[in-house]
Amino acid sequence: HHALAGRFLTETLNTSPYTYEVAPVLVLMEEQVLSKLRELVGWSSGDGIFAPGGSMSNMLAMNVARFQRFPESRSRGNWDLPRLGLFASQESHYSILKGAALLGIGTDNVHLVRTDERWVGKMIPEELEKEIQRVKGSEPLFVCATSGTTVLGTFDPLDAIADICARHGLWLHVDAAWGGSFLGMPFSPQGLPKLCCFPPTRADSVTWNPHKLLMVGLQCSAFLLRDSSGLLQRCHGVGASYLFQRDKFYDVSLDTGDKSPQCGRRADGLKLWILWKAVGTRGLGQRVEYLLEQVKRREGFQLVTEPEFINLCFWFIPPSLRGQESSPEFWDKLGKVAPAIKEKMIRRGSMMVGYQPHGSRVNFFRQIITNPAVTRQDLDFFLDEIQELGWDL
Amino acid sequence: MKHEDSSWSCYQLSLYQHPTSRVGVCKQEILQKKNAVLVDGVILNGPIMDSKAGEKLVEEACKIIMEEVVQKADDVTEKVCEWQAPEKLKQILDLEMRDTGESHQKILQLCRDVIKYSVKTNHPRFFNQLYAGIDYYSLVARFITEALNPSVYTYEVSPVFLLVEEAVIKKMIEFIGWEEGDGIFNPGGSVSNMYAMNLARYKFCPEIKEKGLSGLPRLVLFASEECHYSMKKAASFLGIGTENVYFIKTDERGKMIPEELEKQVQRARKEGSAPFLVCATAGTTVLGAFDPLDKIADICEKHGLWLHVDASWGGSALISRKHRRLLHGIHRADSVAWNPHKMLLAGIQCCALLVKDNSGLLKKCYSAEAAYLFQQDKFYDVSYDTGDKSIQCSRRPDAFKFWLMWKALGTTGLEERVNRALALARYLVEEIKKREGFQLILEPEYANVCFWYIPPSLRKMEDGPEFWQKLHQVAPIIKERMMKKGSMMLGYQPHWGKVNFFRQVVISPQVSREDMDFLLDEIELLAKDL
Repeated sequence: HHALAGRFLTETLNTSPYTYEVAPVLVLMEEQVLSKLRELVGWSSGDGIFAPGGSMSNMLAMNVARFQRFPESRSRGNWDLPRLGLFASQESHYSILKGAALLGIGTDNVHLVRTDERWVGKMIPEELEKEIQRVKGSEPLFVCATSGTTVLGTFDPLDAIADICARHGLWLHVDAAWGGSFLGMPFSPQGLPKLCCFPPTRADSVTWNPHKLLMVGLQCSAFLLRDSSGLLQRCHGVGASYLFQRDKFYDVSLDTGDKSPQCGRRADGLKLWILWKAVGTRGLGQRVEYLLEQVKRREGFQLVTEPEFINLCFWFIPPSLRGQESSPEFWDKLGKVAPAIKEKMIRRGSMMVGYQPHGSRVNFFRQIITNPAVTRQDLDFFLDEIQELGWDL
Repeated sequence: MKHEDSSWSCYQLSLYQHPTSRVGVCKQEILQKKNAVLVDGVILNGPIMDSKAGEKLVEEACKIIMEEVVQKADDVTEKVCEWQAPEKLKQILDLEMRDTGESHQKILQLCRDVIKYSVKTNHPRFFNQLYAGIDYYSLVARFITEALNPSVYTYEVSPVFLLVEEAVIKKMIEFIGWEEGDGIFNPGGSVSNMYAMNLARYKFCPEIKEKGLSGLPRLVLFASEECHYSMKKAASFLGIGTENVYFIKTDERGKMIPEELEKQVQRARKEGSAPFLVCATAGTTVLGAFDPLDKIADICEKHGLWLHVDASWGGSALISRKHRRLLHGIHRADSVAWNPHKMLLAGIQCCALLVKDNSGLLKKCYSAEAAYLFQQDKFYDVSYDTGDKSIQCSRRPDAFKFWLMWKALGTTGLEERVNRALALARYLVEEIKKREGFQLILEPEYANVCFWYIPPSLRKMEDGPEFWQKLHQVAPIIKERMMKKGSMMLGYQPHWGKVNFFRQVVISPQVSREDMDFLLDEIELLAKDL
């Protein structure tokens, strides 16, 4: 509700936070919020900007990494650079591929690293090392580790990955769009492996979307950068003289808009700031914890994997298919169950939950609870409803 | 499902505002009273948010927003800005985000402070940027979308907004003059330009999507020297390189010179580079100039180049039958960027990229076909899941506010706005010509009125470097004074060898003729002693 009030306010103020003169409050607020987020990551200084979505934040990271290694590529372009190598896990978000295409790097040069079968969905550090060695003909540049993958909600082992990046001089970007909000938690929840709560302090850059778990409202995605030497400004700034005049009567270092590849931009920081003021860091952390505990109550549905975060992935096996796991058409038939149940629930309007195929696994449900208004009864209803809708399939 | 139970208030209060103090006591009470379970130290049942308190907050915040922003929006006696130096403002706002939350009243006070010290872009005397004013229909639409908080990637998750976006794109395409086409709404004209650049590149050489640019011939694109700086940023972002944007000379009215474009294309060919795109600008940022689209289209056709028209600012002239001739030839473009949030007051952000191609080029260029979002086995026609055309994943329903405005005002209502804004600009120009001390830089064809103000002390001075140097300092001082007074806001900039001049932009329907007079009077007043 606080964030909603903040969003109404943002709409009514209707402005773009590129300069202090046109949006004094919003510019200061954005800086404050970014600073706080960096603090939670574990950095005492740094840089950053709000972007229109995690996809964009990931792309900013890619661009800054490229610029840092090859500063002249900003003006000369990529055509005379060696082929670059980007690495991300098989479970990474698809924006890495889209980013590679957009930036002129090429999707073929995104090397997807195998993930663990046991701790399903985590990048295997040894495989990352192998991939880097394998593409020695091109120039490895950038590793994207994911803290909270989209489907399974797993966290890549950041420490091990950071070691590899340090050894090879690669840029480490952590896509914590989904899992970043873990960082607000004041303590490590019981029963969860310590690994996944690892703050991405060793990263060079981090994506964090408060519009996901913190429910701040679309869009709110922070691109955080460890560097505080003005790399972001040098990478993106062009100093347009009609907007970023040097002879203004106030300190123009506050005109932060040139750090972004965008010109006009929404003031996404206000809603997060109001929410944070109202609830406090601890309040935000507690919301996340509550949701986690809800999910740990397994109900006998077949889990795809033990959840590490709050993505609960499972199959519903209707009575007609139970006991037939060994038959050859089992998986084929099971794959048709989720879409059928989904259609029924939408037509009925009783609830909505996503499904997808994933790797070699047929369609399964992905339950995610981000709304603090959800109760245990809602979860009971959720399971009952699936059972009811899927009973006669 | 509502969870109204007062026995929860103790627990909610403790969690919501004072996380540590009363939890121990309340836990026991609640476990006994309700059918709750304790898992890993957390009580499970009942929501963690107090919806009633939340709803009250939203209502009260809306009241403040109505009183302090919406109702004062067209009041010229209110200040445009409440200037504070940054260090002072930081203190006033109490920006720090602490471990614990603050009270309901404090939050409402913070809202008030945010409003007080923010620039009132709705104010009739805010002329600083290429957006201004307030449209009430757009505002209502935006409140709706904020409350619903949707993301426009698939039909299942945002059916209404997706269909609305489709309808709006179709309508905009009609005004461009294409029979059919494609398009998408983006977070900004800069992003639209980026899309167009990438699309043109993909058309030129589809393998670049997979292989990247490494080892390919040097791609080159052309844009006028008056073009928006997003062309440079896009070229750099896309790996093309800012050096490979060839800027074409403009004439004394700020328009691209077609013969120069031809020359540059020839030059690029001779160099052995690979020209692929021309970006013409319909409504340049500073001067408001329109490139000659027909002649440029001829050159593009001749050389097989993609023609993108950046009509972010000037595109809205298409809605006016009187002024659409400014964009004559736009139907020959391959892509167009058009931002209704500028001249049409649709609310930031509202930016469309329109594409003539109807063969799914946009989708082919951008899609990644993520299986968790764009499943092919859905129970409805999945061609409606248009989100994969975008480089974004989550996306805001920016078309909706434009749609609602259009429904309310009709094409004629929108046309009236554009006509009126340009008429006001014309009025201002005539007044400037009459007044001593004001010197028009060029005869505008759109809503940008660019002029110098020469204070009395400089009027007798000879034209020479000293004169220009002194004149250069005038605009910044006047700007500082107007902001500290809060009477109005107007932009200035140096531009291509010309010293600082004012750029007046007329947009909002709340602006009156008196405001134009006031503008000139106020400048005179503020510069009296210069």
